[in-house]
Amino acid sequence: MLMRKIYQKDLKRQETQDSNDDIEDVSLFDAEEETTSRPKKSKIRHPVASFFHLFFRVSAIIVYLLCELFSSSFIACMVTIILLLSCDFWAVKNVTGRLMVGLRWWNHIDEDGKSHWVFESRKASPQDSKTVSEAESRIFWLGLIACPVLWVIFAFSALFSFRVKWLAVVIMGVVLQGANLYGYIRCKVGSRKDLTSMATSYLGKQFLRQTTGDDQTS
Amino acid sequence: MFAGLSDISISQDIPVEGEITIPMRSRIREFDSSTLNESVQNTIMRDLKAVGKKFMHVLYPRKSNTLLRDWDLWGPLILCVTLALMLQRGSVDSEKDGGPQFAEVFVIVWFGAVTITLNSKLLGGNISFFQSLCVLGYCILPLTVAMLVCRLVLLAEPGPINFMVRLFVVIVMFAWSIVASTAFLADSQPPNRKALAVYPVFLFYFVISWMILTFTPQ
Repeated sequence: MLMRKIYQKDLKRQETQDSNDDIEDVSLFDAEEETTSRPKKSKIRHPVASFFHLFFRVSAIIVYLLCELFSSSFIACMVTIILLLSCDFWAVKNVTGRLMVGLRWWNHIDEDGKSHWVFESRKASPQDSKTVSEAESRIFWLGLIACPVLWVIFAFSALFSFRVKWLAVVIMGVVLQGANLYGYIRCKVGSRKDLTSMATSYLGKQFLRQTTGDDQTS
Repeated sequence: MFAGLSDISISQDIPVEGEITIPMRSRIREFDSSTLNESVQNTIMRDLKAVGKKFMHVLYPRKSNTLLRDWDLWGPLILCVTLALMLQRGSVDSEKDGGPQFAEVFVIVWFGAVTITLNSKLLGGNISFFQSLCVLGYCILPLTVAMLVCRLVLLAEPGPINFMVRLFVVIVMFAWSIVASTAFLADSQPPNRKALAVYPVFLFYFVISWMILTFTPQ
């Protein structure tokens, strides 16, 4: 009998809660969004870094494609592309990565002469100024992934159309931009502490939701 | 009897979070945050100073282990581009400019450095790949200076004295390069393999010196 009373009270509470939730969903929608724990801003916090992240990569590709039109000197084009690729490599590795997405990778040699590759990511702190904005993250990853793919396509086209003199520059482009891509992907994957533990926690939550959901509907 | 308990839903809105700090990693974490959050100017100055320090070490070679720890390939890139630009036959802006020669110098320098590195690793040296590339690249500095001097000397009238001056300069700078690079590289080899590791370096710088000596600006 006691159980039955509790059951009825709970049922009533749930009904009122459901009706309240309905009302809450309609009126307090905006308030709920403001109180989420990690707001992902969609404005760009570092416009200069975002600009330079894309500027060097895109201009290297543009110079490579349009060099025949602009200048009859192969050497000037080659030196320009090499300089742009080097500046891009340094900027993306040292500056834009840590400003835009809070990731960094480098090589560290210890006293024994062994080299270690260190991949670090900024842990999510409760301070507002250091969260990653979604727009910047999208710009960063888009630029990081699209350009090496383009350089690989250029490499194949240079190889098959027998324009071998460009091959050195194109291979340099593939290597430098591919290295940045690989480094940042490893930073990103490593920052989730462990893929397996994340996967098990996610599956566990899903499983719990499934079982309680099944019990509610039955 | 316990049917009523199944209606109690677990709210998914309550986050469970906290922080676990592990004291022994704190030293590494301080280093991490210092480079992750440093200003762009600090990054640039740090890298420039590292490059400058290495150039000084090449000019005054001393046995030093700490130099090799922070390798970078900026010096080799600058030196390679400078050397390749100076080794051009003909003017830079003409139609038939020295395109292939530019790429040729590039390929010889980088492919030669990679081959020497692989050789020293196969012989059992405990130097890492990029450290060795860094040392070999930086030790091209004396030969680049020799190239500059040769170009200036070639502005005077040609003759045997001209050739003797250039030969002398190239031999001196070649010896300087060998001394500088073996000061760093020989220590990483086991004692009975030092000659085996050093002779490819000798060959590498010999090829570059030959290219410098036989250069004629037609």
